[in-house]
Amino acid sequence: MRRLLLGISAVALALWALLVGGAPAMAADTTIGGVIKSDQEAVPGVTVNVSDETGFVENAISDEKGRWRVVVPQAGTYTVLIETDTLPPGVSLRDPDRTSVEVTVGEGQTKSVLFPTGDAPVSSTSKLDQALQLTVDGFIFGLTIALAAVGLSLIFGTTGLTNFSHGELVTFGSLMAYFFSAIMGLPFIVAAAAAVFAGGLFGFLQDRFFWRWLRKRGTALIAMLVVSIGLGIFLRYFYLFIFGGNTRQYAEYSGQAGLVLGPIVVTPKALVGAIVAVVFLAATVAWLRFTRMGKASRAIADNPALASASGIDVNRVISIIWAAGAGLAALAGVIYSLSNGVSWISGFGLLLLIFAGVTLGGLGTAIGAIVGSIIVGTMIQLSTLLIPSELKNVGALAVLIIILMIRPQGILGRSERVG
Amino acid sequence: MAGTTIEGRDDHLRAAEGALVRIDDVIAGYFPGVNILNGCDLYAQSGELVGIIGPNGAGKSTLLKSLFGLVKVRSGKVTFDDKNITNKRADKLVSMGIGFVPQNNNVFPSLTIEENLQMGAFQEPKAFHSRFDEVADLFPALAQRRKQRAGSLSGGERQMVAMARALMMEPKVLLLDEPSAGLSPALTDEAFVRVKAINKTGVTVIMVEQNARRCLQICDRAYVLDQGRNAYTGTGKALANDPKVVELYLGTLAKA
Repeated sequence: MRRLLLGISAVALALWALLVGGAPAMAADTTIGGVIKSDQEAVPGVTVNVSDETGFVENAISDEKGRWRVVVPQAGTYTVLIETDTLPPGVSLRDPDRTSVEVTVGEGQTKSVLFPTGDAPVSSTSKLDQALQLTVDGFIFGLTIALAAVGLSLIFGTTGLTNFSHGELVTFGSLMAYFFSAIMGLPFIVAAAAAVFAGGLFGFLQDRFFWRWLRKRGTALIAMLVVSIGLGIFLRYFYLFIFGGNTRQYAEYSGQAGLVLGPIVVTPKALVGAIVAVVFLAATVAWLRFTRMGKASRAIADNPALASASGIDVNRVISIIWAAGAGLAALAGVIYSLSNGVSWISGFGLLLLIFAGVTLGGLGTAIGAIVGSIIVGTMIQLSTLLIPSELKNVGALAVLIIILMIRPQGILGRSERVG
Repeated sequence: MAGTTIEGRDDHLRAAEGALVRIDDVIAGYFPGVNILNGCDLYAQSGELVGIIGPNGAGKSTLLKSLFGLVKVRSGKVTFDDKNITNKRADKLVSMGIGFVPQNNNVFPSLTIEENLQMGAFQEPKAFHSRFDEVADLFPALAQRRKQRAGSLSGGERQMVAMARALMMEPKVLLLDEPSAGLSPALTDEAFVRVKAINKTGVTVIMVEQNARRCLQICDRAYVLDQGRNAYTGTGKALANDPKVVELYLGTLAKA
């Protein structure tokens, strides 16, 4: 156990050292730049002045696409000033007093500075329409979380493992879909299917050669939880190493006009993603309820020793659960990245919400995980009506705490008769 | 006294010839360096009803578990049908024809009664319906409540579900760990009657019992364990009347 942890941390450390050590070699210019636009039209010929306290001063003039860029000598805080008299007639700053901005830029970074022009867009939608739109957005987001949460819940139910590297299974799916579509050149739908399959295979192999081995050695659940945190860190930074830190879009379906359905607007890809999610979630629930393997996995969740004594090959069923759970997580990654872009950290960002969904619904019940996730997703979006969107996750988690105070077993968790 | 106690290990070995289940000189335990069984022997001929009794901590349940691969056998040999099954995995043993009913947590609480029995027939799903009808004859109460969740059942009802589950694969031998544990006197009687009935259908039964006197009444043969060793063995009736066994393990109640 200790040797394994040491090994993992050594690898993680080595990888980290590689990344940090590699940074200077990749050093790019430290720049400040931006785009000046008015009513979606680029505004050329505007002078922007960048200066700092040490006396550095440089001017830049926006080009025909409205772009301007200044290379600064080092990291630090700079004052960026727009010379308003160079703005063409009829174009003025939205906030006439905000002609200069203080920005801090790090070594090798590019900092963008925007000067909004024209009138602020006036919100024409009513509070009710907004709430409706947010509910739909949140519901769709919740379905994506639910896909990942079901897998987490099934793995927890059958093995007792609280898998903190589940987010990396989500990321794996979105990265794989990017690999198959952008690099291998497959059509996106094929790439997505291949990514889900690859995700399932990844989960299967992870269980077969790693988690099963730990279970066989009798590793304690808390120790396994810590191992999963380590594995998560390892995978995350491995993704960063391979994929880089940028958020990229899939080549197809990246910019899509929204469909207007009455008071709400939904992009077709979000709608298709939601339908696919519903189909897969329904299939999972039906599988658990009606098939022999599904029942066996519920039996293992109840009592693995008794399941084995009934003639069930417990390890084989757990492998299937891992493959299915990881495949669903990969699907969640693909759907999420379709709207939010592919990044090395997207799954990790969702991890807390996945856990919230599973806990809210009642630990270890698949339907509970689905219901819980949808509530979490909807609450996150709806809460932006009342609180700043930066705090939206806080609002959803507050709901989680309140519900668990009233129903400690979760929404669909059942209390058992003892004896 | 002939036949009441083991004169020597040789006699016992001779009697064990051709037995369906054999445990030979098994040493086993849960934690490294701590042995619970210190060289135990046991056999059951086909069709026999064999009881294992003894004081608390004698290793009764451990002996049964060593038969089912649930405790690590450190030395010695377990055979079933002339095949070595020492430390074999439980699901493999089920497919060979051994059924096991644990003392506690013996049902899947979130599954219905029917699903519990389906799990019993996991390896032969096609045979489920015909087996279910047969088991329903033994336990009529279960058939009527097949859609009820096992978690809502009482201890006695759970015991029935557990036995029915273990019978779904038509085992040659059924291992029962304290089938009367936690049951009321009336239900205990019912449980023993049921065990006898299962045995009458031709299933070899090996059962561990806390309720020694009742166990000896229905057993063909029994073992008395003490500190991880066989202390006495003989027919149920002979042991029940053996003064040493009475004094040591049955107590004054037995005389009443």
